[in-house]
Amino acid sequence: MALPDDRRTGTMAEMGEYMHQAALRLENLTKRYGALLAVDHLNLEVPPGQIFSLLGPNGAGKTTTLEMTEGLRPPDEGHVYLGDVDVIRHPAVARLRFGVQLQTSAFFELLTVRETLELFGNLYPNALDVSVLITRMGLDEKAAARVEALSGGQRQRLALGVALVNDPEVVFLDEPSAGLDPQARRNLWDVILGLKAEGRTVVLTTHYMDEAEVLSDGLAIMDHGRVLDAGTPRELIARHLPGAMIEVDPAVGIGSEATGIPGVTSIERREEATVLVTERLEEALVGLVAWAGRERRELRGLRTRSATLEDVFLKLTGRSLRE
Amino acid sequence: MKGIWTLFSALIRVTVRNRQGLFWTLFFPVVLMVVFSFLGNSTSHINIALVEPRGTESPVVTILQKSPGFALHPMSRARALAEVRAGQMDAALFVPKSATTAPTTLTLRYNNANIIAGQETVGSVTAFIAQINVALSGRPPAYRVAAAPMARSRASTYLDFLLPGVLALMVMQNSLFGIGSGLTRWKEKGILRRFRVTPLKPVEFLGATVLNYIAVGLATSAIIIGLATALLHATVVLPLLALLLVLLLGMACFLAIGFIVAGVAKTQEATIPIVNLISFPMMFLSGIFFPVSSLPKTLAHIVHYFPLTYVAGALRGLMSGQLTLAAPAMRTDLLGMVAWVAIAGFVAARVWRWE
Ligand SMILES: Nc1ncnc2c1ncn2[C@@H]1O[C@H](COP(=O)(O)OP(=O)(O)OP(=O)(O)O)[C@@H](O)[C@H]1O
Ligand SMILES: [Mg+2]
Repeated sequence: MALPDDRRTGTMAEMGEYMHQAALRLENLTKRYGALLAVDHLNLEVPPGQIFSLLGPNGAGKTTTLEMTEGLRPPDEGHVYLGDVDVIRHPAVARLRFGVQLQTSAFFELLTVRETLELFGNLYPNALDVSVLITRMGLDEKAAARVEALSGGQRQRLALGVALVNDPEVVFLDEPSAGLDPQARRNLWDVILGLKAEGRTVVLTTHYMDEAEVLSDGLAIMDHGRVLDAGTPRELIARHLPGAMIEVDPAVGIGSEATGIPGVTSIERREEATVLVTERLEEALVGLVAWAGRERRELRGLRTRSATLEDVFLKLTGRSLRE
Repeated sequence: MKGIWTLFSALIRVTVRNRQGLFWTLFFPVVLMVVFSFLGNSTSHINIALVEPRGTESPVVTILQKSPGFALHPMSRARALAEVRAGQMDAALFVPKSATTAPTTLTLRYNNANIIAGQETVGSVTAFIAQINVALSGRPPAYRVAAAPMARSRASTYLDFLLPGVLALMVMQNSLFGIGSGLTRWKEKGILRRFRVTPLKPVEFLGATVLNYIAVGLATSAIIIGLATALLHATVVLPLLALLLVLLLGMACFLAIGFIVAGVAKTQEATIPIVNLISFPMMFLSGIFFPVSSLPKTLAHIVHYFPLTYVAGALRGLMSGQLTLAAPAMRTDLLGMVAWVAIAGFVAARVWRWE
């Protein structure tokens, strides 16, 4: 994972320290709901100034992890450090330094956008200028509109604005792009990359692979409360699917017998395509064509590509992200 | 502390913009008072069904007919009895055919379903007939009463009785629904959680919420009292500081009970039957519309301990001008409210949950 090159605060000496100190560190974080182990001895480190994504299917434990990190839910075990602050012991100190967008959060319906931001800003000793925030969130036209009159996407943007109102070092965003149209998602990406450019650390969850790939310096793939693997998108792909993928139309009817084809390591029959994973692309292609000749099959929809984050996710969790 | 005021001013704005909420807070108190003030002001002459044999010309009847206090309605015996029984006539007066022996007996049948009204009718008619007797005798009366109204005196109307009750009722509804239902809704929607990741302390959030409902309760009280005295001519005493204290204590009772509801209920929907279950019996039994003393003894004994009974009792004691805060009779109500605040507050602290 890349080290930060632009911290906003501190002297050179302090910066040296920051280099060694994670912006956020989770140690053995654990949460049980009755018999359900929602988060299972989770360890994570996020270096300062990075965008870090938590990926996982529904119910993987992402929100629970974030809520424990934010001091909203007491963990059954483990520690959370924001820089050198123990969040669970000193939540009041930590709250000044992080900003939060909850997966579902509501605001007073009868206040306007501006009033909402002012209300939250006034709760902190240092707050950003509300007008600047409104412009940044693209809510200028809605500044005087009441929350009740906002669309779902506009509410999301307001929630993001509220998360930034205290000029936080670390920003937690739980599914910030949920419910946004494609254009608004791009704008959100710009905002998030802007936060990084300002030296803030961003921890987010998402169900969109492209989003994770575009934004993340580091990411963790979670399921059943555990981190299955973490790293940069490239690292994860290189570690789990170093080779290439050959896709053909599912109608071709390639079955498990094709694992015998030289060079093919595994086969996945997905809905949209049958995927052959290989680390020796030429050999596998030759073998596949030969197999098709023997079996008298037409290789419809044949194409090759390199592995994506989505492939890694499927391999690790065995589930599609949005199932 | 700054956080409390920040949130409080935002909440006041939310409350003032919630037109529907304000409307319902004021609607029942105002409607109740307006309706009952009209009932109280209904024309005050006494309607008498007159039953006399054809051709009788009793001098009593002639004099009664001329008097503005009575309206005579000649009718048959059967109809007269029926109308009195149905409450359409206040009484039926039977005049015998001719007077042979003195004194002539005039029979007055009155409806005793409403004891007070019945006695009033009997009293008025008897007094009037006595006057006639004196006049007919031709002798000057031995005594005369010179009745003169006192300065600032007043007839206690039903509205005067009702006003403190309506205030108590509003205090209960505002506090109980506000916290019980309103706070549960914020909890359900996630507004509370959002504030928990800010530096605002949980007690500050609750403090601002409580202040908001207290402000609403006091403002509504002022509007109700103003309307009742200025437009509906209620005549009540207004010892402002004492009233403020009792209103605050009353609100504290119901805010604490509201917190119990908000602690127990998971959704706003679930709070509605609970709140109704608490408020409905008190609304009808706690001396809002009629005195607790008119309830059956055993029931009155229980109702006596209801928080709304204490609040209404204290407010009525003050506003009728009969009691001050220092009066011994006031002590029960004040102590009762304090006890309710303490007990409900204790339970609320036990059952309260943030999620
Ligand atoms: N308050 C709760 N009580 C009981 N179980 C809970 C509670 N909150 C979450 N869970 C369970 O814990 C698990 C993890 O939930 P969590 O909300 O952290 O998942 P998630 O990864 O955020 O999922 P999603 O992508 O759907 O938001 C789920 O199985 C969920 O049902
Ligand atoms: Mg979630």
